[in-house]
Amino acid sequence: MLPNLRSNEELLKEIENLSGQRIIDCYQCGECTAGCPVAFAMEPVPNQAIRLLQLGYIDEVLKSSGIWLCASCNVCGERCPRGVDYGKIADALRTINLRNNNYPLVLEKIDKEFINQAPQQAFIAAFRKLTT
Amino acid sequence: MITLAYYPGCTLYTKGKNLDIAARKSAELLGVELKELESWNCCGAIYSPVTDDIASQVAPIRNLIEAQKISRKLVTLCAACYNVLKRANRNLFLPENYQYRKRLLNYLEESYDGSTETIHYLEMLRDIVGFENLKTHVQKHLTSLRVAAYYGCLMVRPSEELMFDNPDNPTVMEEMFLALGASPVNYAFKTECCGGYIVVNQPEVAKRCAQTILENIANAGAECIATTCPLCQYSLDNQQKVMSKEYKLPVFYFTQLLALSIGISPELLNFDNHYIDPKPLLKEKGLLL
Ligand code: SF4
Ligand code: SF4
Repeated sequence: MLPNLRSNEELLKEIENLSGQRIIDCYQCGECTAGCPVAFAMEPVPNQAIRLLQLGYIDEVLKSSGIWLCASCNVCGERCPRGVDYGKIADALRTINLRNNNYPLVLEKIDKEFINQAPQQAFIAAFRKLTT
Repeated sequence: MITLAYYPGCTLYTKGKNLDIAARKSAELLGVELKELESWNCCGAIYSPVTDDIASQVAPIRNLIEAQKISRKLVTLCAACYNVLKRANRNLFLPENYQYRKRLLNYLEESYDGSTETIHYLEMLRDIVGFENLKTHVQKHLTSLRVAAYYGCLMVRPSEELMFDNPDNPTVMEEMFLALGASPVNYAFKTECCGGYIVVNQPEVAKRCAQTILENIANAGAECIATTCPLCQYSLDNQQKVMSKEYKLPVFYFTQLLALSIGISPELLNFDNHYIDPKPLLKEKGLLL
């Protein structure tokens, strides 16, 4: 369950607090999305997600699949001319979901052969970012 | 012989052992004793930037405290460990994080003032061993080996926190390869993300990230790739299995090529433990019998 009893303003404040970012600072240049290695599969892409937040569509972004696709590669934050780090915003959005027991990773679905071959580091990072 | 604290991290005893063994052997030959922390725990593998997430910072800070028993500098090899340990320390000791710091340090048995400096093995080679000195240790020049030095994300970004090298065009690994006589190639995507941990639940997306990089490296005329991270190595090597196009690009850890060049026995370097077999290339270059 998402915390839909809370007002949009409260949620936005929480996102800003958890991420340490100011949503309003983004001026939609698109640099973050241009550099994002997974933008081709993301919905919404980073600058769109921020725009939706600016317009108050918080729930839409919280429930979107795009926030879970971020690989935490830090390109968006590194290059943003306005000092906004979307990777941190995505982490805040995930954290709100995780704290409400919402997450996408289904352990049973992970391929057995993959488990034998992939480095531990991949699982530890994925479990931290995609489960509680 | 200088002694430095060494942190292997969760993957280097098993799936990343090709990175670890070659690094320890090479350091020894180059006059550095890497002393593994007596008691260490996984750093968490990925940094948590969430401002109220104190729990995730306990593990990295514990390792930094442990390192103090050996030396002021702590050497890491895995790009992810480097990223997590260095950022955890830097951010905890920002003046504005005073309250946060106090709360976190309350969880720990020992006091800590933030003075452990995390360095990457490549920085150790550059600043402590020295590339000029490294040249004098070379037994087999990697002559004409066209290698793509691949950094990925975690070594270089966020640059403000890591201050490792230029975040778009780092060159320290190329400098090492030049010292070993190799010919590093210039290419565009040396700090592009391999897809990282999303390979766990979005393998198709991660595959495309890796393929973009491989395509770029192949077009730049490289014969092989060198990485600093077990997950990058896995993504670029093993995922060639599932790609529509055959690249046949061997993916080494930079330490394997270093070790080979300074005369460490190839038997110790696990060249069998790769998806794309690197032995034909090494034989062609006269680096392997
Ligand atoms: S790069 Fe920064 S300013 Fe530009 S769209 Fe992205 S977040 Fe907004
Ligand atoms: S940190 Fe996430 S959103 Fe930002 S560029 Fe990397 S993958 Fe894209």
